[in-house]
Amino acid sequence: MNGPVVFDAHTLPANDNVHAYAFSVDLDGQWFLQKGKMIAYFGDIRFDGIGHGPLDHLVARSFHSPLHAADWVVAQGRGKLLLADRAFDVNSFDLDQGNLTIRSGNLLAFEESLSLKQSIIPGFVTLIGTGKFVAASNGEVHFVEPPIRVDPQALVGWADCPSPCHHYDHGYLRGFLGGLRAMTGVGGASGEEHQFEFTGAGTVLLQSSETVMPEQPVGGTPAGGGTPGGGPGASGGLGGLGGLARWAERSG
Amino acid sequence: MGFTRISGKMIEAQVVPGQPLYSQRGAMLAYRGEVSFTPNLTGGQGGVMSALGRRARGEAAPLMTVEGRGSVYFGHGGHHVHVVDLAGSLLHVEADRLLAFEGSLRQGTVFLGSQGGVMGMVRGQATGQGLFTTTLEGHGSVAVLAHGGVLELPVTPRRAVHVDPQAYVAHRGDLRNRLSTALGWRDMVGRGSGEAFQLELSGQGTVYVQASEEKL
Repeated sequence: MNGPVVFDAHTLPANDNVHAYAFSVDLDGQWFLQKGKMIAYFGDIRFDGIGHGPLDHLVARSFHSPLHAADWVVAQGRGKLLLADRAFDVNSFDLDQGNLTIRSGNLLAFEESLSLKQSIIPGFVTLIGTGKFVAASNGEVHFVEPPIRVDPQALVGWADCPSPCHHYDHGYLRGFLGGLRAMTGVGGASGEEHQFEFTGAGTVLLQSSETVMPEQPVGGTPAGGGTPGGGPGASGGLGGLGGLARWAERSG
Repeated sequence: MGFTRISGKMIEAQVVPGQPLYSQRGAMLAYRGEVSFTPNLTGGQGGVMSALGRRARGEAAPLMTVEGRGSVYFGHGGHHVHVVDLAGSLLHVEADRLLAFEGSLRQGTVFLGSQGGVMGMVRGQATGQGLFTTTLEGHGSVAVLAHGGVLELPVTPRRAVHVDPQAYVAHRGDLRNRLSTALGWRDMVGRGSGEAFQLELSGQGTVYVQASEEKL
Protein backbone atom coordinates (compact mmCIF):
# COMPACT_ATOMS: atom_id res chain seq x y z
CA MET A 1 0.00 0.00 0.00
CA ASN A 2 1.08 3.57 -0.60
CA GLY A 3 1.43 6.08 2.14
CA PRO A 4 -0.90 9.01 2.42
CA VAL A 5 -1.10 11.15 -0.70
CA VAL A 6 0.13 14.65 -0.09
CA PHE A 7 -1.41 17.41 -2.15
CA ASP A 8 -0.29 20.95 -2.67
CA ALA A 9 -1.86 23.77 -4.60
CA HIS A 10 -0.60 22.37 -7.90
CA THR A 11 -1.24 18.70 -7.45
CA LEU A 12 -4.78 19.04 -6.22
CA PRO A 13 -7.17 17.99 -8.96
CA ALA A 14 -8.83 20.80 -10.86
CA ASN A 15 -12.61 20.64 -10.69
CA ASP A 16 -12.52 17.00 -9.75
CA ASN A 17 -12.91 14.74 -6.78
CA VAL A 18 -9.93 14.36 -4.47
CA HIS A 19 -11.62 11.17 -3.30
CA ALA A 20 -15.19 10.11 -2.87
CA TYR A 21 -15.81 12.55 -0.04
CA ALA A 22 -14.02 15.73 -1.04
CA PHE A 23 -14.10 17.87 -4.14
CA SER A 24 -11.52 20.35 -5.32
CA VAL A 25 -12.68 23.42 -7.23
CA ASP A 26 -10.21 25.25 -9.44
CA LEU A 27 -11.54 28.69 -8.66
CA ASP A 28 -11.05 31.57 -11.03
CA GLY A 29 -14.03 33.80 -10.64
CA GLN A 30 -17.02 33.11 -8.53
CA TRP A 31 -18.71 30.06 -7.10
CA PHE A 32 -21.70 29.82 -4.84
CA LEU A 33 -21.31 27.64 -1.77
CA GLN A 34 -23.67 26.50 0.87
CA LYS A 35 -22.53 27.93 4.17
CA GLY A 36 -20.05 25.84 6.05
CA LYS A 37 -19.08 23.38 3.31
CA MET A 38 -15.62 24.77 2.62
CA ILE A 39 -13.00 22.68 4.42
CA ALA A 40 -9.78 24.24 3.11
CA TYR A 41 -8.43 26.44 0.38
CA PHE A 42 -5.23 27.49 -1.34
CA GLY A 43 -4.77 30.89 -2.89
CA ASP A 44 -6.47 34.18 -2.61
CA ILE A 45 -10.15 33.61 -2.04
CA ARG A 46 -12.70 35.80 -0.34
CA PHE A 47 -15.95 34.56 1.08
CA ASP A 48 -18.82 36.99 1.16
CA GLY A 49 -22.33 36.62 2.28
CA ILE A 50 -24.74 37.12 -0.55
CA GLY A 51 -26.49 40.40 -0.80
CA HIS A 52 -23.69 42.46 0.64
CA GLY A 53 -23.39 45.62 -1.44
CA PRO A 54 -21.40 44.86 -4.56
CA LEU A 55 -22.80 41.35 -4.82
CA ASP A 56 -26.34 42.58 -5.23
CA HIS A 57 -26.22 42.22 -8.98
CA LEU A 58 -25.21 38.58 -8.61
CA VAL A 59 -28.24 37.85 -6.55
CA ALA A 60 -30.35 39.40 -9.23
CA ARG A 61 -28.73 37.27 -11.93
CA SER A 62 -28.06 33.93 -10.33
CA PHE A 63 -30.42 33.89 -7.41
CA HIS A 64 -34.08 34.05 -7.98
CA SER A 65 -35.27 33.47 -4.50
CA PRO A 66 -33.71 36.23 -2.44
CA LEU A 67 -35.37 34.83 0.64
CA HIS A 68 -32.86 32.04 1.08
CA ALA A 69 -29.83 33.90 -0.17
CA ALA A 70 -28.66 34.18 3.42
CA ASP A 71 -27.75 30.49 3.42
CA TRP A 72 -25.24 30.88 0.65
CA VAL A 73 -21.85 32.49 0.34
CA VAL A 74 -19.93 33.59 -2.72
CA ALA A 75 -16.32 32.53 -3.01
CA GLN A 76 -14.39 34.78 -5.32
CA GLY A 77 -10.77 34.94 -6.30
CA ARG A 78 -8.22 32.46 -7.52
CA GLY A 79 -7.10 29.24 -6.00
CA LYS A 80 -8.11 25.75 -5.09
CA LEU A 81 -11.13 25.30 -2.91
CA LEU A 82 -11.91 22.05 -1.12
CA LEU A 83 -15.52 21.15 -0.42
CA ALA A 84 -16.94 18.37 1.72
CA ASP A 85 -20.05 17.65 3.67
CA ARG A 86 -20.04 15.39 6.74
CA ALA A 87 -18.24 12.59 4.87
CA PHE A 88 -21.14 12.10 2.50
CA ASP A 89 -20.31 11.13 -1.06
CA VAL A 90 -19.66 14.19 -3.18
CA ASN A 91 -20.11 14.32 -6.94
CA SER A 92 -19.92 16.98 -9.58
CA PHE A 93 -22.26 17.24 -12.50
CA ASP A 94 -22.16 19.30 -15.67
CA LEU A 95 -25.20 20.94 -17.09
CA ASP A 96 -25.25 22.02 -20.70
CA GLN A 97 -28.17 24.28 -21.43
CA GLY A 98 -30.11 22.06 -19.13
CA ASN A 99 -32.12 22.08 -16.01
CA LEU A 100 -31.87 19.96 -12.93
CA THR A 101 -33.99 19.88 -9.84
CA ILE A 102 -32.34 18.71 -6.65
CA ARG A 103 -33.20 18.34 -3.00
CA SER A 104 -32.06 21.54 -1.35
CA GLY A 105 -30.01 19.76 1.30
CA ASN A 106 -27.96 17.89 -1.31
CA LEU A 107 -26.67 20.87 -3.26
CA LEU A 108 -23.24 22.00 -2.05
CA ALA A 109 -21.97 24.49 -4.57
CA PHE A 110 -22.42 25.70 -8.12
CA GLU A 111 -20.77 27.87 -10.72
CA GLU A 112 -22.08 31.36 -11.13
CA SER A 113 -23.02 30.68 -14.76
CA LEU A 114 -25.88 28.58 -13.45
CA SER A 115 -28.88 30.14 -11.93
CA LEU A 116 -30.62 28.78 -8.89
CA LYS A 117 -34.35 28.88 -8.62
CA GLN A 118 -36.74 27.58 -6.09
CA SER A 119 -38.69 24.60 -7.43
CA ILE A 120 -42.43 24.60 -7.20
CA ILE A 121 -41.96 21.30 -5.37
CA PRO A 122 -41.35 22.23 -1.76
CA GLY A 123 -37.88 21.42 -0.50
CA PHE A 124 -36.31 21.28 -3.95
CA VAL A 125 -34.35 23.83 -5.95
CA THR A 126 -33.76 23.98 -9.70
CA LEU A 127 -30.53 24.87 -11.48
CA ILE A 128 -30.80 26.21 -15.01
CA GLY A 129 -28.14 26.97 -17.58
CA THR A 130 -24.66 25.75 -18.39
CA GLY A 131 -22.03 24.98 -15.80
CA LYS A 132 -20.86 22.71 -13.06
CA PHE A 133 -22.33 22.02 -9.69
CA VAL A 134 -21.39 19.83 -6.75
CA ALA A 135 -23.88 17.75 -4.84
CA ALA A 136 -23.64 15.46 -1.83
CA SER A 137 -25.52 12.24 -1.36
CA ASN A 138 -25.72 9.47 1.17
CA GLY A 139 -24.12 6.72 -0.85
CA GLU A 140 -23.07 7.30 -4.42
CA VAL A 141 -25.53 8.65 -6.98
CA HIS A 142 -27.07 6.46 -9.67
CA PHE A 143 -28.62 7.70 -12.85
CA VAL A 144 -31.71 5.95 -14.03
CA GLU A 145 -34.12 6.66 -16.82
CA PRO A 146 -37.87 6.90 -16.60
CA PRO A 147 -40.32 5.31 -16.45
CA ILE A 148 -39.46 4.54 -12.88
CA ARG A 149 -40.99 4.87 -9.43
CA VAL A 150 -38.68 6.07 -6.69
CA ASP A 151 -38.85 5.92 -2.94
CA PRO A 152 -39.19 9.56 -1.82
CA GLN A 153 -36.29 9.24 0.60
CA ALA A 154 -33.95 7.84 -2.04
CA LEU A 155 -34.59 10.64 -4.53
CA VAL A 156 -31.79 13.14 -4.97
CA GLY A 157 -33.08 14.97 -8.00
CA TRP A 158 -34.01 14.79 -11.63
CA ALA A 159 -32.88 16.42 -14.84
CA ASP A 160 -34.66 17.37 -18.03
CA CYS A 161 -37.81 15.52 -17.22
CA PRO A 162 -41.23 16.60 -16.16
CA SER A 163 -41.86 16.91 -12.47
CA PRO A 164 -42.84 13.70 -10.72
CA CYS A 165 -46.24 12.79 -9.48
CA HIS A 166 -47.21 10.75 -6.47
CA HIS A 167 -47.93 7.08 -6.86
CA TYR A 168 -49.80 5.26 -4.15
CA ASP A 169 -49.81 1.53 -3.88
CA HIS A 170 -51.69 -0.08 -1.10
CA GLY A 171 -53.29 -2.90 -2.94
CA TYR A 172 -52.77 -5.08 0.08
CA LEU A 173 -55.07 -2.86 2.10
CA ARG A 174 -58.04 -3.90 -0.04
CA GLY A 175 -60.44 -6.71 0.64
CA PHE A 176 -61.54 -8.05 3.99
CA LEU A 177 -58.14 -8.96 5.37
CA GLY A 178 -56.70 -5.75 4.01
CA GLY A 179 -59.44 -3.77 5.69
CA LEU A 180 -58.74 -5.54 8.93
CA ARG A 181 -55.08 -4.70 8.52
CA ALA A 182 -55.85 -1.07 7.80
CA MET A 183 -58.21 -0.84 10.78
CA THR A 184 -56.07 -2.57 13.36
CA GLY A 185 -52.59 -2.01 12.06
CA VAL A 186 -51.90 -5.71 12.58
CA GLY A 187 -49.31 -6.88 10.12
CA GLY A 188 -47.78 -3.46 9.71
CA ALA A 189 -47.15 -1.59 6.54
CA SER A 190 -44.49 -2.30 3.98
CA GLY A 191 -43.28 1.30 4.07
CA GLU A 192 -43.46 1.31 0.28
CA GLU A 193 -46.97 2.57 -0.25
CA HIS A 194 -45.91 5.83 -1.73
CA GLN A 195 -43.44 6.60 -4.50
CA PHE A 196 -42.60 9.41 -6.84
CA GLU A 197 -43.41 8.38 -10.37
CA PHE A 198 -41.36 9.71 -13.26
CA THR A 199 -42.41 9.41 -16.87
CA GLY A 200 -41.12 10.94 -20.08
CA ALA A 201 -37.56 11.54 -21.18
CA GLY A 202 -34.84 12.59 -18.78
CA THR A 203 -32.66 11.31 -16.00
CA VAL A 204 -33.47 10.58 -12.38
CA LEU A 205 -30.79 10.73 -9.67
CA LEU A 206 -31.00 8.15 -6.91
CA GLN A 207 -28.95 7.69 -3.79
CA SER A 208 -28.33 4.24 -2.41
CA SER A 209 -29.90 4.87 0.96
CA GLU A 210 -33.20 6.08 2.31
CA THR A 211 -31.54 8.46 4.72
CA VAL A 212 -32.52 11.93 3.60
CA MET A 213 -29.99 14.70 3.95
CA PRO A 214 -31.34 17.44 6.20
CA GLU A 215 -33.20 20.02 4.22
CA GLN A 216 -31.94 23.51 3.75
CA PRO A 217 -34.54 26.21 3.99
CA VAL A 218 -35.39 27.31 0.49
CA GLY A 219 -37.32 30.35 1.53
CA GLY A 220 -40.96 31.12 1.42
CA THR A 221 -43.21 31.16 -1.56
CA PRO A 222 -44.74 34.31 -2.85
CA ALA A 223 -48.27 34.70 -1.66
CA GLY A 224 -50.77 34.56 -4.43
CA GLY A 225 -53.56 32.39 -5.64
CA GLY A 226 -52.54 29.32 -7.58
CA THR A 227 -49.01 29.11 -6.22
CA PRO A 228 -48.47 25.79 -4.47
CA GLY A 229 -47.63 26.59 -0.90
CA GLY A 230 -48.37 30.21 -1.50
CA GLY A 231 -51.43 32.26 -0.97
CA PRO A 232 -55.05 31.38 -0.40
CA GLY A 233 -56.43 28.56 -2.46
CA ALA A 234 -53.04 26.92 -2.60
CA SER A 235 -52.86 23.26 -1.88
CA GLY A 236 -50.43 21.67 0.49
CA GLY A 237 -48.43 24.50 1.84
CA LEU A 238 -44.73 24.59 2.47
CA GLY A 239 -44.98 21.49 4.59
CA GLY A 240 -46.50 19.55 1.73
CA LEU A 241 -43.60 17.20 1.26
CA GLY A 242 -42.93 17.11 4.97
CA GLY A 243 -46.52 16.10 5.43
CA LEU A 244 -46.00 13.20 3.08
CA ALA A 245 -42.84 12.21 4.84
CA ARG A 246 -44.77 12.19 8.09
CA TRP A 247 -47.40 10.07 6.42
CA ALA A 248 -44.75 7.63 5.29
CA GLU A 249 -43.19 7.55 8.74
CA ARG A 250 -46.49 6.85 10.35
CA SER A 251 -47.22 4.02 8.02
CA GLY A 252 -43.68 2.74 7.92
CA MET B 1 -32.68 -14.02 -11.90
CA GLY B 2 -30.47 -13.22 -9.00
CA PHE B 3 -29.24 -9.90 -7.78
CA THR B 4 -27.11 -7.54 -9.81
CA ARG B 5 -24.65 -5.40 -7.93
CA ILE B 6 -25.10 -1.76 -8.91
CA SER B 7 -22.61 -0.39 -6.41
CA GLY B 8 -21.27 -1.35 -3.04
CA LYS B 9 -24.47 -0.12 -1.45
CA MET B 10 -27.16 -0.94 -3.95
CA ILE B 11 -28.44 -4.00 -5.81
CA GLU B 12 -30.94 -4.55 -8.56
CA ALA B 13 -33.27 -7.54 -8.44
CA GLN B 14 -35.39 -8.94 -11.24
CA VAL B 15 -38.89 -9.97 -10.30
CA VAL B 16 -40.92 -12.31 -12.46
CA PRO B 17 -44.39 -13.65 -11.78
CA GLY B 18 -44.46 -16.74 -9.63
CA GLN B 19 -41.04 -16.12 -8.14
CA PRO B 20 -41.45 -13.70 -5.27
CA LEU B 21 -38.64 -12.10 -3.33
CA TYR B 22 -38.52 -11.27 0.33
CA SER B 23 -36.92 -8.04 1.44
CA GLN B 24 -36.55 -5.91 4.49
CA ARG B 25 -39.42 -3.46 4.79
CA GLY B 26 -38.68 0.01 3.55
CA ALA B 27 -35.50 -1.04 1.74
CA MET B 28 -36.84 -0.46 -1.78
CA LEU B 29 -35.21 2.53 -3.43
CA ALA B 30 -36.90 2.48 -6.82
CA TYR B 31 -38.55 0.10 -9.22
CA ARG B 32 -39.67 -0.31 -12.81
CA GLY B 33 -42.66 -2.22 -14.01
CA GLU B 34 -45.63 -3.46 -12.04
CA VAL B 35 -44.35 -4.62 -8.71
CA SER B 36 -46.22 -4.83 -5.45
CA PHE B 37 -44.82 -4.70 -1.93
CA THR B 38 -46.87 -6.51 0.66
CA PRO B 39 -45.90 -6.44 4.30
CA ASN B 40 -45.33 -9.95 5.41
CA LEU B 41 -47.40 -10.80 8.42
CA THR B 42 -45.46 -13.95 9.06
CA GLY B 43 -42.01 -12.40 8.68
CA GLY B 44 -40.94 -14.77 5.95
CA GLN B 45 -41.82 -18.17 4.67
CA GLY B 46 -43.86 -20.96 6.12
CA GLY B 47 -47.17 -20.87 7.86
CA VAL B 48 -48.40 -19.38 11.06
CA MET B 49 -46.46 -21.79 13.21
CA SER B 50 -43.09 -20.90 11.76
CA ALA B 51 -44.06 -17.25 12.10
CA LEU B 52 -44.86 -17.73 15.76
CA GLY B 53 -41.60 -19.55 16.16
CA ARG B 54 -39.69 -16.66 14.67
CA ARG B 55 -41.56 -14.14 16.76
CA ALA B 56 -40.80 -16.07 19.93
CA ARG B 57 -37.16 -16.32 19.01
CA GLY B 58 -36.69 -12.67 18.16
CA GLU B 59 -35.84 -13.51 14.58
CA ALA B 60 -38.98 -11.95 13.09
CA ALA B 61 -37.44 -9.11 11.16
CA PRO B 62 -40.09 -7.10 9.37
CA LEU B 63 -40.10 -8.42 5.84
CA MET B 64 -42.20 -7.73 2.80
CA THR B 65 -43.04 -9.87 -0.17
CA VAL B 66 -42.08 -8.41 -3.52
CA GLU B 67 -44.11 -9.76 -6.42
CA GLY B 68 -44.96 -8.84 -9.97
CA ARG B 69 -42.90 -8.17 -13.05
CA GLY B 70 -40.08 -5.69 -13.21
CA SER B 71 -36.83 -4.74 -11.59
CA VAL B 72 -36.35 -3.35 -8.11
CA TYR B 73 -33.44 -1.44 -6.56
CA PHE B 74 -32.68 -2.21 -2.94
CA GLY B 75 -30.42 -0.50 -0.43
CA HIS B 76 -30.65 0.35 3.22
CA GLY B 77 -29.29 2.99 5.52
CA GLY B 78 -26.15 3.61 3.49
CA HIS B 79 -24.81 0.22 4.56
CA HIS B 80 -22.74 -1.94 2.29
CA VAL B 81 -24.52 -4.78 0.56
CA HIS B 82 -22.97 -8.14 -0.16
CA VAL B 83 -24.60 -10.68 -2.43
CA VAL B 84 -24.18 -14.33 -1.58
CA ASP B 85 -25.19 -16.90 -4.19
CA LEU B 86 -26.17 -20.13 -2.56
CA ALA B 87 -25.98 -23.30 -4.58
CA GLY B 88 -27.46 -25.80 -2.22
CA SER B 89 -25.45 -24.75 0.80
CA LEU B 90 -26.60 -23.36 4.11
CA LEU B 91 -26.15 -19.74 5.21
CA HIS B 92 -26.38 -18.58 8.81
CA VAL B 93 -27.18 -14.89 9.10
CA GLU B 94 -28.86 -12.59 11.57
CA ALA B 95 -32.38 -11.65 10.45
CA ASP B 96 -31.83 -7.90 10.66
CA ARG B 97 -28.86 -8.16 8.34
CA LEU B 98 -31.01 -9.60 5.57
CA LEU B 99 -31.69 -7.01 2.90
CA ALA B 100 -33.38 -9.33 0.43
CA PHE B 101 -33.45 -12.98 -0.55
CA GLU B 102 -35.06 -15.05 -3.23
CA GLY B 103 -38.20 -16.98 -2.51
CA SER B 104 -36.57 -20.16 -3.74
CA LEU B 105 -34.57 -20.36 -0.51
CA ARG B 106 -35.84 -22.13 2.55
CA GLN B 107 -35.81 -20.01 5.66
CA GLY B 108 -35.35 -21.41 9.13
CA THR B 109 -34.24 -20.52 12.63
CA VAL B 110 -31.70 -22.33 14.73
CA PHE B 111 -30.98 -22.27 18.41
CA LEU B 112 -27.37 -21.37 19.06
CA GLY B 113 -27.34 -23.44 22.20
CA SER B 114 -27.67 -26.51 20.02
CA GLN B 115 -24.06 -26.01 19.03
CA GLY B 116 -22.03 -26.10 22.12
CA GLY B 117 -24.67 -25.72 24.79
CA VAL B 118 -24.13 -22.89 27.21
CA MET B 119 -21.06 -21.66 25.36
CA GLY B 120 -23.19 -21.41 22.24
CA MET B 121 -25.52 -19.07 24.07
CA VAL B 122 -22.64 -17.01 25.39
CA ARG B 123 -21.31 -16.86 21.87
CA GLY B 124 -24.66 -15.64 20.64
CA GLN B 125 -24.56 -12.83 23.15
CA ALA B 126 -21.03 -11.87 22.20
CA THR B 127 -21.75 -11.71 18.48
CA GLY B 128 -25.02 -9.92 18.98
CA GLN B 129 -26.88 -12.81 17.43
CA GLY B 130 -28.92 -13.48 20.50
CA LEU B 131 -29.98 -17.02 21.17
CA PHE B 132 -31.29 -17.69 17.70
CA THR B 133 -30.17 -17.00 14.21
CA THR B 134 -31.72 -17.32 10.78
CA THR B 135 -30.70 -19.91 8.23
CA LEU B 136 -31.28 -19.89 4.50
CA GLU B 137 -30.82 -23.00 2.42
CA GLY B 138 -31.25 -23.98 -1.20
CA HIS B 139 -30.52 -22.37 -4.53
CA GLY B 140 -30.78 -18.62 -4.86
CA SER B 141 -29.27 -15.29 -3.92
CA VAL B 142 -29.16 -13.46 -0.61
CA ALA B 143 -28.23 -9.81 -0.09
CA VAL B 144 -26.67 -9.20 3.30
CA LEU B 145 -26.12 -5.81 4.95
CA ALA B 146 -22.84 -4.89 6.57
CA HIS B 147 -21.23 -1.81 8.01
CA GLY B 148 -18.19 -1.28 5.83
CA GLY B 149 -17.25 -3.66 3.06
CA VAL B 150 -17.44 -7.42 3.37
CA LEU B 151 -14.53 -9.82 3.22
CA GLU B 152 -15.05 -13.46 2.37
CA LEU B 153 -12.67 -15.67 4.29
CA PRO B 154 -12.50 -19.32 3.26
CA VAL B 155 -12.39 -21.87 6.04
CA THR B 156 -10.86 -25.27 5.38
CA PRO B 157 -10.59 -28.23 7.74
CA ARG B 158 -6.94 -27.56 8.23
CA ARG B 159 -7.20 -23.82 8.60
CA ALA B 160 -9.62 -22.37 11.12
CA VAL B 161 -10.44 -18.69 11.07
CA HIS B 162 -10.70 -16.42 14.09
CA VAL B 163 -13.07 -13.50 13.82
CA ASP B 164 -13.87 -10.59 16.07
CA PRO B 165 -17.46 -11.29 17.16
CA GLN B 166 -18.50 -7.74 16.35
CA ALA B 167 -17.16 -7.96 12.82
CA TYR B 168 -18.85 -11.29 12.11
CA VAL B 169 -21.62 -11.00 9.50
CA ALA B 170 -22.60 -14.48 8.35
CA HIS B 171 -21.19 -17.83 7.51
CA ARG B 172 -21.86 -20.41 4.85
CA GLY B 173 -21.28 -24.10 4.70
CA ASP B 174 -20.61 -26.73 7.29
CA LEU B 175 -18.85 -24.75 9.98
CA ARG B 176 -18.58 -25.20 13.69
CA ASN B 177 -18.03 -22.09 15.70
CA ARG B 178 -16.59 -21.74 19.11
CA LEU B 179 -16.01 -18.70 21.24
CA SER B 180 -12.41 -18.67 22.30
CA THR B 181 -11.45 -16.49 25.17
CA ALA B 182 -8.08 -15.11 25.97
CA LEU B 183 -9.00 -13.57 29.27
CA GLY B 184 -6.13 -12.89 31.57
CA TRP B 185 -5.44 -10.89 34.66
CA ARG B 186 -4.88 -7.83 32.45
CA ASP B 187 -8.55 -7.88 31.45
CA MET B 188 -9.54 -8.08 35.07
CA VAL B 189 -7.66 -4.91 35.93
CA GLY B 190 -8.96 -3.08 32.88
CA ARG B 191 -5.72 -3.28 30.90
CA GLY B 192 -6.95 -5.81 28.35
CA SER B 193 -6.22 -5.68 24.67
CA GLY B 194 -9.92 -5.39 23.82
CA GLU B 195 -9.67 -8.62 21.89
CA ALA B 196 -10.47 -11.03 24.69
CA PHE B 197 -13.24 -12.80 22.81
CA GLN B 198 -12.81 -14.32 19.39
CA LEU B 199 -15.03 -16.47 17.30
CA GLU B 200 -13.25 -19.50 15.97
CA LEU B 201 -14.77 -21.08 12.88
CA SER B 202 -13.61 -24.46 11.72
CA GLY B 203 -14.81 -26.90 9.11
CA GLN B 204 -15.47 -26.33 5.43
CA GLY B 205 -17.09 -23.13 4.19
CA THR B 206 -16.85 -19.37 4.10
CA VAL B 207 -17.16 -16.73 6.77
CA TYR B 208 -18.24 -13.19 5.92
CA VAL B 209 -16.60 -10.43 7.91
CA GLN B 210 -17.32 -6.71 7.79
CA ALA B 211 -14.62 -4.07 7.84
CA SER B 212 -16.00 -2.50 10.96
CA GLU B 213 -16.77 -3.44 14.52
CA GLU B 214 -20.02 -1.53 14.46
CA LYS B 215 -23.29 -3.38 14.66
CA LEU B 216 -26.08 -2.49 12.29
